[in-house]
Amino acid sequence: MAKPRIQPLESEPDRWEAQLRKGALEMAALASLWHGRLYGLEILRFLETHSRLVLAEGTIYPILNRLKAEGLLTSEWVEAEAGHPRKYYSLTESGRSRLREMASAWAGFAAGLSRLLEPVLETEEIPQ
Amino acid sequence: MIAEQQIDSYLAALRAQLGPMTLKDREEIVREISAHIRDSAEQTGADVEVILARLGSAADLAAQYRDGLLIRNASRSISPLKLMRGALRLATKGVFGVFVFFVGLFGYAMGGGMALSGMIKPIFPAHTGMWVRDGRLVAFGTQFPHLGPPAHEVLGLWYVPIMLTAGSLTLLLTSFLIRTALRTSQKWQSKLQVHVVA
Repeated sequence: MAKPRIQPLESEPDRWEAQLRKGALEMAALASLWHGRLYGLEILRFLETHSRLVLAEGTIYPILNRLKAEGLLTSEWVEAEAGHPRKYYSLTESGRSRLREMASAWAGFAAGLSRLLEPVLETEEIPQ
Repeated sequence: MIAEQQIDSYLAALRAQLGPMTLKDREEIVREISAHIRDSAEQTGADVEVILARLGSAADLAAQYRDGLLIRNASRSISPLKLMRGALRLATKGVFGVFVFFVGLFGYAMGGGMALSGMIKPIFPAHTGMWVRDGRLVAFGTQFPHLGPPAHEVLGLWYVPIMLTAGSLTLLLTSFLIRTALRTSQKWQSKLQVHVVA
């Protein structure tokens, strides 16, 4: 996890949202590889199109590096027609089972929170 | 500056900032980022400047790679120096880390002190030992001026092997405790990332 930095210029709600996204990123990166191997730029595009999760591009590579160090991903260099090799990532066995755990924990939590937030989203005015 | 030069200077800065990693890890990262820049340029047609800006500065990118590396490496090491550096990094992340750091400091000081004291005994035999008076421990270690009756030293030359063994065991136990703490913290961290956010 990146060291939290104090950024006084950023407003509280923005920072909260940034934290929320950042925490979900590892899971999102693992999920993007569920159907097969992808390289970094493809993972970024996949996340953009499938979850509208737009990242600062530099963010994804250190995350992939860490997930690999934890044994959740493997990587291989593949020579492409483009003329230079690309580093493809795929899930390991433990990566797949970890992602399953994460997904079920996430789904349970999200369902509970959605119920909790329903009245907040439905009410137009702020009750006194 | 033309595009190639911009890319080269970005990669050179990244390589320099990744300093503490092994050469293999560093080159692997630089190669991957270099492939990313080329692919982005070819697939989107964006300017190199734009692509590099989206990656963030070389210093920020390297910092993201380095973060966590120290603790991860330390948790696999037995070197007291590396373990304590890992503990110090952990201490910046919360109360648990601060606790681990001070336990480590105390354990290494104790163990080191005991082993040192065992080594000093042959140099100052009359001043080093364990003194007892009326069945109670009154002094321990190296004493100046040297303690005389009614206190008397009880261990004699046994002091050397006893202190060397006890000191080494304390050092080993401390290393083991820090390693366990660093590993536990890593597991927490990856779990917390999901649960806190969810």
